[in-house]
Amino acid sequence: MSDRPSRRDFLSKLGVTTAAAVGGSLAGVGLAGVARAEDKPKGTIPDKPFKIGHMTFFTGAGAVLGEPMYKGNLLAADEINATGGLLGKRKIEILKADEAAGTDANTKEMRRLKLSEKIDMFMGITSSGNTPALGPVAEELKLLTIFVDGCTDFLFDKAVPNPRYIFRITNIQSADGATCAVGVALTWPSIKTVAHIHPDYSYGRNCFDHFSIVTKKLLPKASNVSEAWPKLFSTDFTPHITKTLAAKPDLLVTSLWGGDYVAFYKQALQHGLFTKMKVATTLALGAAPQSIGKDHPEGVLSGVHSNYHFSYPAGNRWPLNKTFVEKYHAKFNEYPNFQAEGAYTATYALKTALEKANKLMGGWPDDDAIISQLEGMMIPGPGGYVYIRPDNHQGYKDAITGFSKNVPEYPFPILDPERIITIPIRNITSPPGWPKGDPTSTYTWIDQTWPTVKTT
Amino acid sequence: MDILVIHLFNALLYTSVLFLIAGGLSLIYGVMRIVNLAHGNLFAIGAFVTASAVGQWFAGSTSAWLFLLLPAGAVAAALLGAVLEPTLLRPFYRRPEEYQLLVTYGILMILEDLIRFIWGPYPVTATSLFEKMGSMTVGEWIYPRYNLLVIAIGGVAAVGLWAFIYKTRFGVLLRATSQDMRRASALGVNVNYVYVLAFTIGCFMAGLGGAIVVPSQSAVLGMGVDALVLSFIVVVVGGLGSLDGAMVGALIVGVLRETAVSVFPELELAVLYLIAAIVLLVRPAGLFGKAT
Repeated sequence: MSDRPSRRDFLSKLGVTTAAAVGGSLAGVGLAGVARAEDKPKGTIPDKPFKIGHMTFFTGAGAVLGEPMYKGNLLAADEINATGGLLGKRKIEILKADEAAGTDANTKEMRRLKLSEKIDMFMGITSSGNTPALGPVAEELKLLTIFVDGCTDFLFDKAVPNPRYIFRITNIQSADGATCAVGVALTWPSIKTVAHIHPDYSYGRNCFDHFSIVTKKLLPKASNVSEAWPKLFSTDFTPHITKTLAAKPDLLVTSLWGGDYVAFYKQALQHGLFTKMKVATTLALGAAPQSIGKDHPEGVLSGVHSNYHFSYPAGNRWPLNKTFVEKYHAKFNEYPNFQAEGAYTATYALKTALEKANKLMGGWPDDDAIISQLEGMMIPGPGGYVYIRPDNHQGYKDAITGFSKNVPEYPFPILDPERIITIPIRNITSPPGWPKGDPTSTYTWIDQTWPTVKTT
Repeated sequence: MDILVIHLFNALLYTSVLFLIAGGLSLIYGVMRIVNLAHGNLFAIGAFVTASAVGQWFAGSTSAWLFLLLPAGAVAAALLGAVLEPTLLRPFYRRPEEYQLLVTYGILMILEDLIRFIWGPYPVTATSLFEKMGSMTVGEWIYPRYNLLVIAIGGVAAVGLWAFIYKTRFGVLLRATSQDMRRASALGVNVNYVYVLAFTIGCFMAGLGGAIVVPSQSAVLGMGVDALVLSFIVVVVGGLGSLDGAMVGALIVGVLRETAVSVFPELELAVLYLIAAIVLLVRPAGLFGKAT
């Protein structure tokens, strides 16, 4: 086919940029953090506390993601409470619930929080196994909910295709595999053989699917030569490393994260894996940035769940990030991950919706008014602008990934500030109006609308 | 050919750790008839204590000191066991088994929270030993030397335990108590002493398993429950209460997992449960277990 675009042309059409991109004008971004003095709420605001039920992993291996999520929510709540509370009156009170109790127990706990504790809002959730179970319950309870993660496409593709009360703030899961594949096509276009190591659960499967469909389009000559599916939360990867080395691939793709990834890279180092192939990851620097050591090789395509790494945007280029990271570090003595950023932004999305609704109607807005303001909202968070699509209530922000690099300022690797890859999110996720697809709408959208690029 | 050697190392590595965990579980059941559900988190305690000792408290010490510190987690788990048995388990021996299950499960949960309380939610690593030992070459393969140390420790532990049980006077008391607690007691065996020692040794083994995986893996929340499930598969295959069974069960699970990962990657998880199901169907007491 002579009308097929070249890879370079198509990537530039996708709007992929590798230089550290400038985030846009700074005017009017004082939304998070600083309340503007002239914004006096209209009407009478009750002063009883605003109760948020925050469910995330506080125990088990998932706590590596859950704990920062809660801390992000807590930091935002403390900031808002310091200014008097929501609409200057209602202090935020967070009720914790442990997501590790299991899906059935979680749905019961959500009901209990709403019916007995009378929470005003539900927030949190890490696991993709839990949002599709909790989403329908929240709808049934008419419980205003912002899921922070649990980012499976399945939630709004199938489980709750027409959401009313539930929203979700971090990027949709398919963006992870797609971002990783775009990063690979951009960086190592000559790879021919690919090996995979993914945790055997929905996230790993989703990453594999979307990495594969994007590489089919952008690297049509590449083929899979090895697959390994270790159990989630395992720490012995010697057999998987042996299998990968035996296949002699050009590239290893892995969506291991948290303690799993730490154990994996330490073992891979001693097997000489990083010297024998390129390595691309979806979540390596995403879970707990400070738990990766300086021994981690540089130049690994290091995913951050396609959402956020605290080192970007750097310096004072995006003041919201600078202040967020400083405050978070001062309060918790660690660096925020994408969950912390998501929960922080979600809390401010609520605050913004309340203020807008109050301006229109006065008094304390009811849930319908809050929902109407959240739908279609675009707000700046520490990681950049987040747009909440009105049709599926999913938050979208431009995807990022980058390359691990050691710098003197931090005792762990960060994303190489010179080589950040950003992708406009609309170009790698299925748009409004696209029919629901299988395995995901984004998968069928890429499959049916992206060209297969010319190879030379 | 070289790759077969690597596969064998990998399988034995997994077997060693599994044997330490499942062997302790089996020993405790064999002597005391207690299914110790807290066992998984004694493994985790071993891992976290060693991770702190080697990776934080004495991180600057020489390699020789770090090697000596490696069993710190095993000692911690053993001490914990020596306290738990007389205080929390002993009052329930005369009650039905359900009570013991509830109590040990409760201890499992409490230890999980205790670990989180002390060490926080993030993985704790202590990889200096793993790195210092470096790698060796097997043909064109690079392989970490530390893994061979783990295999050796597993082997030495197995032989040592066997010698202890079959070649020492205390081993005779242990076996006598295991066969008939009342008669042993009537003949003057101090059953309380035998119990606390058996429980402590079982916990020591679990703790040692946790301690030796830390340098090459890491200590993470939830690792105890995982280890518990795996050791149940081992004892279901090998037979609960039998050390030989724990050894053979661990070997079967180790080899099967290695084979599954390299040949049928999709079956990695399922194959362990499949083998347990098959053994339960064919020999419900396990390969080395005695039907009661």
